[in-house]
Amino acid sequence: MIARLFASLRGLLVRRRIDGEILEELQDHLEREIEAHRRRGVPPEEARRLALRDLGGLTQTIESTRAVRATWLDTFWRDLRYGARLLRRSSRFTVTALTVLVLGIGSTTAIFSIAYAVLVRPLPYADPDRLVFLAEHQGSGISWPNFEDWRQRATSFEGIASSLADVVFVTGGEFPQRLDSKSVTVNFFDVLGTRALHGRLFDQSDARPDATATAVVSHAFSVRSFGSAPAAVGRTISLNRKPYTVIGVLPPGFGFMSAAEVYLLLEPQVAANYRGMQNRGSHTGHYAVARLGRGVELTAARAEMQNLGAALALEYPQENKGRSTYVVVPLAERVVRDLAPTLTVLTGAVALLLVIACVNLASLLLNRSASRAHEFGIRVAIGGSRWSVIRQLLVEHALLVGAGGLLGALAGAAILTGLIRVAPPDTPRLDEIRLDIVVLFWTTFFSCACAFLFSVLPALKAPGAGARATVLQSGRGSTRQHSLLRRSLLMGEVAVATVLLSGSGLMVHTMVRLSRVDPGFDPHNLQTVMFSLAGPSWPDPRKQAFFAEAVERLRAVPGVENAAITYSLPILGSNWWNWFTVAGRPIPPGAVMMDLPSAGIVPVSATYFDTLKIPLIKGRLFDRSDTPDSQPVAIINASLVNLYWRKRGGSVNVRGPAFINADEDPIGQQIRLAGATPADGYGPWRTIVGIVGDVKQHGIDQDNPQQIFLPVVQQTRTTVFAVARTRGTVSIASIETAIRDLDRSVPVFNDRTVDQVMREAASRRRVAAIVLSVFAGAAVLLATIGLYGVIAQSVSERRQEIGVRMALGATDGQILRLFLHHGLIVVAVGIGCGVVAAIAAASSLASLVFGVTVTDPATLGSVAALLTVVTLLACYLSARSATRVDPWEALRLE
Amino acid sequence: MNKTQLLQGTLDLLILRILDLGPNHGWGISNRLQQISQDGLKTSQGSLYPALHRLEMRGEVKSEMTASENNRRARVYTITRAGRKRLSQETETWQAFALSMRRVLGEGR
Repeated sequence: MIARLFASLRGLLVRRRIDGEILEELQDHLEREIEAHRRRGVPPEEARRLALRDLGGLTQTIESTRAVRATWLDTFWRDLRYGARLLRRSSRFTVTALTVLVLGIGSTTAIFSIAYAVLVRPLPYADPDRLVFLAEHQGSGISWPNFEDWRQRATSFEGIASSLADVVFVTGGEFPQRLDSKSVTVNFFDVLGTRALHGRLFDQSDARPDATATAVVSHAFSVRSFGSAPAAVGRTISLNRKPYTVIGVLPPGFGFMSAAEVYLLLEPQVAANYRGMQNRGSHTGHYAVARLGRGVELTAARAEMQNLGAALALEYPQENKGRSTYVVVPLAERVVRDLAPTLTVLTGAVALLLVIACVNLASLLLNRSASRAHEFGIRVAIGGSRWSVIRQLLVEHALLVGAGGLLGALAGAAILTGLIRVAPPDTPRLDEIRLDIVVLFWTTFFSCACAFLFSVLPALKAPGAGARATVLQSGRGSTRQHSLLRRSLLMGEVAVATVLLSGSGLMVHTMVRLSRVDPGFDPHNLQTVMFSLAGPSWPDPRKQAFFAEAVERLRAVPGVENAAITYSLPILGSNWWNWFTVAGRPIPPGAVMMDLPSAGIVPVSATYFDTLKIPLIKGRLFDRSDTPDSQPVAIINASLVNLYWRKRGGSVNVRGPAFINADEDPIGQQIRLAGATPADGYGPWRTIVGIVGDVKQHGIDQDNPQQIFLPVVQQTRTTVFAVARTRGTVSIASIETAIRDLDRSVPVFNDRTVDQVMREAASRRRVAAIVLSVFAGAAVLLATIGLYGVIAQSVSERRQEIGVRMALGATDGQILRLFLHHGLIVVAVGIGCGVVAAIAAASSLASLVFGVTVTDPATLGSVAALLTVVTLLACYLSARSATRVDPWEALRLE
Repeated sequence: MNKTQLLQGTLDLLILRILDLGPNHGWGISNRLQQISQDGLKTSQGSLYPALHRLEMRGEVKSEMTASENNRRARVYTITRAGRKRLSQETETWQAFALSMRRVLGEGR
């Protein structure tokens, strides 16, 4: 077999030589024959004629001799050249088909590649299917004592580890540098199955109380700080002014949930009661990752954890109230949690587009097969084998799909590059995305299968059965079955276009709604940096003096209008959430923390509200009269007033704890933050002096949270934002320098700006909106082309009928109606099915839309109307050509 | 066995038989064919060359371009072992066939 293939290949390569040799051989024969005739006295001309006659013609003999030598490869080559010539000649068909293919294969490959990299490809850990993510109620952080109980009691897991995302400062350089870090339990890397690239990872010896502090660093960090990964092992780095020995370097690209450069041990931090972690009621931001035991089902582990949660809630009712339902999900699911809905929608959209592309391709090929049925009929009638006809079709369409696949791959790579560029930078696994060959293979295979189905199957039937009939039909190739099939395909196309267009309509609607949301402050021209006053050398009075000085320095920077210090910034979220009590409202006996009212607590400088342009609704803002020694005060926002001080609809808001009386003026009332238990207080009683407007603290698409602002002079914090309102552009460096100049030892660092976070939050929806709109546009275009083509085809097939009708006196309107009729049915049924499908598919968009319901009747209605107009226009334009038929010419064709 | 196949088989057999006598070129084979059959078997020269090339593809003859007189090149065919084997097999078949034909026709007379 292999030998024969090689022989065939060689045959193909040497065919020119062989052709030459056949000619030479036959010429030799002719000359000998002529000589023989001459010897018998025949004159030269006559001798030549006789020799040629006896040979049966030179060309014919060369042809038949060569045919003997021809192998399947030669045949294929011939079919290929013939096919290419045909495709070149019918360039309109070829360009349309290629466009359809490139659009279909390119976009599908790009989107599926992303979906595969993000959703399907296994996580880069050993045996990732057995890794699960554990959290407490609704995914909140775990309290350390609970975590220890899990470790002791849960039997479903081989190991449970925990990690806490944190920030450390590398000290000892010119000025401190901020790094993302993770504090992890000793077994963390074991559970993930990760090995050190150099050195070693944590073991029990590192967790001993007398052990020297150790750190594991990322590959990138080791190269940046020490020149190479091996050089980092054994070196000492100073983190938060404390020396750590680097014991190992992780493999490049290692990450868990979020990026980190330094990994420290969590156990010593728990021992030091970092963030109050020894307290069972303190549900800090650490999460657990566990490896399921071999053969343990996720459902079993989930059931065990639910029982454990119920047990711990019973044992510690105070600390664990309302926290008994644990989150137990596969790690992969958690990693891509936020992106999964977007990707599902995009993948669905692109799958639909591929379906449309294939339907159009099918329709094109059907048309072509039909219009060539005559040619095939003749070929079969004059003795061509059916196989040769089918083979020709196969080769021709393979050529088409092959070219389409190649161009589609290029287009896919381009689309992918574009999408990665516009993708939000925090997209999980972004660096793992590449054009997937397997995906490309399948999309191309799908197109091939479609081409085969719709070109070869009709051909299989057509020429054999009625070659004679086909020829006699004199070019009216298309059969009724074909046009029925084409119409059903078109209905599908219109339906899919409807689904895509309504998805795109909803996303555009969402984008418009989002752009109209009032964030409650002015998010533009804000520059922010963070700085940290940590350590015993920063007692509260020194911090407060530094804050005041920092505000003054920033306001002195050219271009800066106003500046403030704050613990949390709008959009970026609340860094502190606390329960509180109101003076004069007794706490019912038995009440637990969850029963108290709560709010985001934001210590701010007096200039905060002016700097962010948050309006004062009632009372006063903080001012110079608020000092560390004056009466403690607080400002609350409108949402808090609405939630806890207003009656709504005649009844107290159910979310508001019943023991705050409604419809009182909160100004002048006193509140106190709650401590470890409802009865405990944290800090002094504070008088409410003002009410300010709401801001979108947790993101533009979120509800306004209730907030309590405190003067930073009365409630200091260690790590804060400095925010400057600028006119035009002021460089972030000048803001940083202003603070750094106050004290070189203070770590100043950039975090994401408000603007940036808003853009990133919008970008996910924007990507969905753009992609859906582009796809919807393509789908509408394809459906329109399809409709136009089908009607044009039917007009050209029925020219003679039209001619007869016209000759008998049919008006233009009657002729037009004849063809519009079919288009109308296709459009009506297609849009009808599409609307039903759009409503059925609506839930997939639920997490992406904002300010509009997924089954918004206005959107669906306008989509249907738009599609009706566009498709009917295509029908009309196409059908109009029927009225231009010249009856004389049409009848003469017969 | 239809007519073309019969003729094709016959032509192959005749070519192999001629080449069994010694290597020859196309025109030589054609000449010998006419002599041997004395025009009893009508084969056009045109069908000779496809047959020769087909035999070569099947490995029953091999060919070589050799220099001949008048500065020309001629393709000279030689029978191979496989060719001889087929020749002897088909000769037997033919003789058996011819014998039975003779018997049938002789008895019928």
